[in-house]
Amino acid sequence: MATQDIIRRSGTSEATPAAQARVGGVKQVAKLFDATKCNGCKACQVACSEWNDLREEVGSFQGTYQNPASLSPECWTLMKYNEVEADGKLHWQFTHSACMHCADPACLKACSTSGAIVQHANGTVDFDSDKCVGCGYCASACPFDIPKINPVDNKAYKCTLCSDRTAVGLEPSCVKTCTTGALRFGTREDMLFYAEKRVAELKDRGFTNAGIYNPEGVGGTGMVMILRDINDPESYDMPKDPQIKVSTELWQDVLKPLGTAGILATAGVALLHRITVGRNIVEEDQPGYRDEDHEEDSK
Amino acid sequence: MNKQKMIVRHKLFDRIVHWFIVAVGLLTFLTGFSFFYPSFQWMGAISGTPQLARFVHPIAGLMMCVPLLLMLVRYYSHNKWEKTDIAWFKSIKAVMFEDEENIPPVGHYNPGQKILFRAFVIFAIALIVTGIMMWQPYFAPLFESDAVSWAILIHALCAVGMLVFVIVHFWMATWVEGSITGMLYGKVSLAWARKHHPLMAKEHEDKE
Repeated sequence: MATQDIIRRSGTSEATPAAQARVGGVKQVAKLFDATKCNGCKACQVACSEWNDLREEVGSFQGTYQNPASLSPECWTLMKYNEVEADGKLHWQFTHSACMHCADPACLKACSTSGAIVQHANGTVDFDSDKCVGCGYCASACPFDIPKINPVDNKAYKCTLCSDRTAVGLEPSCVKTCTTGALRFGTREDMLFYAEKRVAELKDRGFTNAGIYNPEGVGGTGMVMILRDINDPESYDMPKDPQIKVSTELWQDVLKPLGTAGILATAGVALLHRITVGRNIVEEDQPGYRDEDHEEDSK
Repeated sequence: MNKQKMIVRHKLFDRIVHWFIVAVGLLTFLTGFSFFYPSFQWMGAISGTPQLARFVHPIAGLMMCVPLLLMLVRYYSHNKWEKTDIAWFKSIKAVMFEDEENIPPVGHYNPGQKILFRAFVIFAIALIVTGIMMWQPYFAPLFESDAVSWAILIHALCAVGMLVFVIVHFWMATWVEGSITGMLYGKVSLAWARKHHPLMAKEHEDKE
């Protein structure tokens, strides 16, 4: 069943866009994670694993509550426990780590397969696992290190923003279950409006560096965060200025057109050379081939 | 028909290796193309499904590059750089327009072929290294995502470069008639050698 609301489709020429008749008045959505309200209960992580039927293997204790250690094909939402020392105090900073649903997704740009990664009109970046070939280009291109290749079926997986729930008007399962109101879901406009009010409130209460994490380098994100100190997103294990990598851009925007031109030019010159210069034969091997007296001028 | 004296140019082992590389190379290039140009995914269909194309590509790639390196070892002695090679490049116009009187005599390989040889060595090594770095799901997880991302770029760059050289190789081999039969059956006529590789012909005649 086609959703007919695809605004971007991997490996697809602009000359042949995906079905988008139903884009209509669809508004961009966003998940808002307020790190200042999160108490690290992991309900979001469990809800994600329940809704999506994911069961990461139980690991071993690594000196942190963070388990598993990183996102994985069986763990699309991970509660990160960052221990940060600041102002002579220990801050236990929690990060709701999952796909950021970039407005300008690097994974989609890098994808090797037509339609394996799509962006819906509401901004959700989704993987079509049936099409995925498991090349891993998305995993290496992502500035947030989100997609993971499952060695079992060799396909890439990540948070879908519960596109199967949002498509029928429900909120993502992590948001539904959040115990402290640290997670919210709505239109991007509403979430940013709310986030600004919340940041102003935090500033009033003395958190002068509080701010909204909505990195411009990837065109803004479908998961917006409120951080205690916006100048130090690294303390939340988030990159300071995420961008589409230079290597990805050189590859898709420079090598591809230039390489294509080079291949076609070489083939073109070869063909032209063959037609104009003609056969290169050893006359002794082919007696009678070239009869100078009776040769007709073909030029 | 007059009878032409035939001389050996390629030994059986090298010919088998060459055509093996052609076969798996075709598979490698077609499947690789399907990832570089997603719209041309049908090219990868030579190996079945897109998923199979991805599975087959690194294996076929290794089967192409490793024998290629072996072949390069076997042909190494013919590809050493000589001082006279510069003069050949200066007369490249004469080469392309079959103006043989103005081409400095060359041996088993002309300098153009030596460049091709060197390019294949560099590309094969680079493709193996970067290919292993990006090989999912076995080796790629062992590297930082930034490193893999650069490996993908270099891999694509080398693949495009190699394809350009393969086109040139195919172009020259089909243009200089007698080359392909030489690679298929091993022998070229003495007249062919005198015309295209005079020093190789001379060496043969000196031996006799």
